[in-house]
Amino acid sequence: MMENAWLIPLFPLLSFLILLLIGKRLREASAYVGILLTLASLVFSILVLFERFTEPTYITKFDWLTIGDLHLTAGFEVNQLNALMLFIVSLVSFLVHTYSKGYMHGDERFPVFYAYLGLFTFAMLGLVISPNLLQTYIFWELVGVGSFLLIGFYFYKEEAKAAAKKAFIMTRIGDVGLFIGMILIFWQTKSFEYSEIFRAVEAGAVSQTMITLTAILIFIGAVGKSGQFPLHTWLPDAMEGPTPVSALIHAATMVAAGVYLVAALFPLFQASQTALLTVATIGAFTAIFAASIGLVQTDIKRVLAYSTVSQLGYMMLALGSAGYVAGVFHLMTHAFFKALLFLAAGSVIHAVHTQNIEEMGGLWKKLKFTGPLFLIGTLAISGVPGLSGFFSKDEILVAAWEGGHPVLFLLALIAAFFTAFYMFRLFFLVFTGEARGEQKHVHESPSLMTLPMLVLGVLAIIGGYVNTPWFGSFLGDWLVDGNEALGHGHIEGPAWIMIAATVVSLLGIYLAWLIYGKRSVARDWLSGAGGTLHTILLNKYYVDEFYQLIVVNFVKGFSYFLRFIDVFLVEGIVKGVAGFVQGLGITGSKMQNGQVQTYGAVAFIGLAVLAVIFALTGGYLK
Amino acid sequence: MSFDQFQSLNWSIMTPEFIILAVIAILVIMDLFMPKHMDRKILGWIGIAAILAAMVSVFGMAGGHVESILHDTFRLDSFAIAFKLLILGGGALVLFLATSYKATDGLERYTGEFYYLLLSALLGAMVMTSSGDLITLYIGLELLSIPSYILAGIQKDRLNSNESAMKYVINGGISSAIALFGMSYVYGLTGSTNLLEIAGQLSMLMDGQQAYLLGLSFLMILVGLGFKLAAAPFHMWAPDVYQGAPTPVTAFLSVVSKTAGFVIVVRILLTVFGSAATNGPGSIPILLDMQNYLAVIAAATMIIGNVVALRQSDIKRMFAYSSIAHAGYLLVAVTTLTSNMFYSIWFYLLAYLFMNMGAFAVIQVVSEKTGSTKIADFAGLYRRSPWLAVTMGILLISLAGFPGTAGFIGKLNIFVGAFAGQPHYVLASVMIATTVVSYFYYFGVMTQIFFRPAPAASEGEGEGSKFNLPFGIVVVLIVAVVGSVLFGIMPNIALDFMHNNLDIVQDFFS
Repeated sequence: MMENAWLIPLFPLLSFLILLLIGKRLREASAYVGILLTLASLVFSILVLFERFTEPTYITKFDWLTIGDLHLTAGFEVNQLNALMLFIVSLVSFLVHTYSKGYMHGDERFPVFYAYLGLFTFAMLGLVISPNLLQTYIFWELVGVGSFLLIGFYFYKEEAKAAAKKAFIMTRIGDVGLFIGMILIFWQTKSFEYSEIFRAVEAGAVSQTMITLTAILIFIGAVGKSGQFPLHTWLPDAMEGPTPVSALIHAATMVAAGVYLVAALFPLFQASQTALLTVATIGAFTAIFAASIGLVQTDIKRVLAYSTVSQLGYMMLALGSAGYVAGVFHLMTHAFFKALLFLAAGSVIHAVHTQNIEEMGGLWKKLKFTGPLFLIGTLAISGVPGLSGFFSKDEILVAAWEGGHPVLFLLALIAAFFTAFYMFRLFFLVFTGEARGEQKHVHESPSLMTLPMLVLGVLAIIGGYVNTPWFGSFLGDWLVDGNEALGHGHIEGPAWIMIAATVVSLLGIYLAWLIYGKRSVARDWLSGAGGTLHTILLNKYYVDEFYQLIVVNFVKGFSYFLRFIDVFLVEGIVKGVAGFVQGLGITGSKMQNGQVQTYGAVAFIGLAVLAVIFALTGGYLK
Repeated sequence: MSFDQFQSLNWSIMTPEFIILAVIAILVIMDLFMPKHMDRKILGWIGIAAILAAMVSVFGMAGGHVESILHDTFRLDSFAIAFKLLILGGGALVLFLATSYKATDGLERYTGEFYYLLLSALLGAMVMTSSGDLITLYIGLELLSIPSYILAGIQKDRLNSNESAMKYVINGGISSAIALFGMSYVYGLTGSTNLLEIAGQLSMLMDGQQAYLLGLSFLMILVGLGFKLAAAPFHMWAPDVYQGAPTPVTAFLSVVSKTAGFVIVVRILLTVFGSAATNGPGSIPILLDMQNYLAVIAAATMIIGNVVALRQSDIKRMFAYSSIAHAGYLLVAVTTLTSNMFYSIWFYLLAYLFMNMGAFAVIQVVSEKTGSTKIADFAGLYRRSPWLAVTMGILLISLAGFPGTAGFIGKLNIFVGAFAGQPHYVLASVMIATTVVSYFYYFGVMTQIFFRPAPAASEGEGEGSKFNLPFGIVVVLIVAVVGSVLFGIMPNIALDFMHNNLDIVQDFFS
């Protein structure tokens, strides 16, 4: 089965091509094309995953381009990480395809939406089976294109257009880092292939400085894609896209690509303590930074978006603390519960037609399925014992502690408290109390939408049991099997960490309940006491404003300066060059006067000039 | 040589040449005995069949040892096989174009001749690839050139065509004379016309004065053959000839003739001047000493080709300059003199074969429809025939050298090669800069095709502005687009075949 893994990305590509050609005629039947073909991908992915449990890594490649001694290869690889990613991506994609059939019903550009979904899924699946950096980079950019198209799907909305542009530009900034890093690695190791790169790094063929430099440059690419500080601002804005897209791209798959990249290149990062420390620090800071912003946001999708940024920070922290297993494990569980939360949020929005949580309330009774499913997701992400998020978050905290980063550990613990608080704030505001806004015809979503949520709900509960300190670390052992360099399958940590995590999470929930559930504590006791703090959080630490003020204005100022140079200096040169080229062209065509004797004369003069130069320089007179 | 000896020679290595020769004879006789008003197209199809058969036989020879007969005047090595495939492929596509060409202006009386003259020229090109001797090289060259002169002027009733043929003959004569004069120096110094023998003798060359003479002969041969390649400043015949000749002939000149030109340049420069010592045995060969002259010509060719192309309003003239520019890129590969240059030249010519043949097919269709060859005639092509427009778009992108097309891989090969040995920074920068310049004129055509409105239905054309695509054209277009895209995405299909079956470097000097 694994030798056929290359087929997995091709099914969504086929869906994209079919819908591009005949989507208009199929109209809403387009959904079936997309659903069936992603189902095929899912089935294949499951088969591949199961085969990978017993078989060794499968890798195949062929020379894509040979120039002299330079061999560029292409191919695919199924190792543990890739097999797991294939499963996650195709599963979430399949569920989102199904869900969208209900959510996007009635949209004018329904087939286009499914075509884009197919393109994105193809790119993402292609990304996770690439065996070399060059191929990864190509799919990495394609994924960006898919995300751009889907965020800007409602392109007639100004915000959506701006958000799509912002997402593309911000991630491109990161990609420049990745690109430079990639070229540097190629320069140093003469190969783009992961295995070759690791071999060269292990053999000490690359200097320590160069390893650190390339690792950090590649990490910058991951920072852009995974919405880490300071390139995180595009992710909340990307919520302008349709909600199923947010679930697929901005929760489960594309934003995890940065984490995946760091995991895939983990041996490179391991070779440099500085690089690992950078990853861990950025991760921990992003975790608490985004979580604190999430405390006060009022748009349901934005809260989830900041929560995503924060959780991705957790994954980076894990990887940076040498907790390879913890990072990948959390990537998996997060994909389940965050996709669930987004789909549930979509269902809520579908019912009440607003995204502002201040206008919701009391939906528990009206949304019989969505409510409990949302609660499951909330419990999972808050780290309540027994659910998937609890186990993976615990792994990360242990990894941070054992990795010798007590400060980062503390930040992560506080972030866990924040997470529990803002998630339950969201839950209580949306589902309990009285309806605050105008709510007419609130109805539960069709089963087409609730069934995918149900699947994710089950996974959000049980997904963590593949790797627990109690029942064995099956996932961890499997992930590092045959490659002990990645670290241990399970990091043994003191028991108090788990207790502390539980206490912190329950405290957060209790506080949220006091304020928003029982309302025994006034809502503004915090914002009243520290009004400034509240304002700062509400404005997301003014990062966007800071960028506007410093970066954009600086760029603008710089651009005025450049414009000045441009107008007076460059334009002069350009005009000169253009004029020169034009003049050359004119002269050239004037020479072309149609007279054979001229042609002959020019040729003879040419020969004579060459002969004279030869006589003077290299020949007779030497 | 007795008859027995004659018979015992390994004639089988000339199978492809014999196939073409036999079919030429058959076509001549058929043409003679066919009723006057019978359609001659059948001759074209026979010609195509013959070329395909010859290609099959060439394929069959790949991977064998170097063999030579007739006192080493005819040799079959990997180099010959590789380039014979290109020449035959180009010839087949030209014949496809020719069968779809509407015979006018006097051509209708000579369609039969048209086909077998084309095959004769092809035979000349094939002989050139396999020559191991200055004499056979020259005979091959003339066998290619003389039918080409006639073909350029075969539309006897058209002034343009006559002018084209006349200019071609005169310029061709000058170039042959110069090249031959250069070769005579080599003969004078060594007393032999056999390439390997010459190489052996020249590697022992002790005298600096003789090296000087050899340098002069190098320049003369370079200039003489530079005409064939349309390298600047010996390119000036090309635009006039390309414009006046019938479109299939233009396609033949720009692809097959140019390929043959590079074959002879590489063969002579590398064997003769690559082994000639400048100053006693063991000193650097003359070729390396003269590298700068090659570089200057390559740079001049790229610059003049691309820059003057900007100002053309006639599509065939524009393509003449574009083909000059491509010759410039190829000369960069010749200049670098690395072992990989055979492969990069071969691959570039392969890519060039697809994209140029396809483009000329589109030009032929459009110009037959509108009756002129103005670039402005392409306006609104997308509205009138989307498939044709998209096809031309892909071919133009490949010509411009964008990623995903064979043209890109070809340029990348050459570009990387420029840094492989001793790095040629200036040449590489000129290549990049002129490539950027080339975007302007290629995309100028694209703008016409996709963004300009079609001219108002004039002369009562009305809805009849649809293009009819004859079978031959469709074949060429499909082959061209598939080749351009396939070898752009999977270049190693072609390169692996080369590397696995044809060890050119090994074969070339043995």
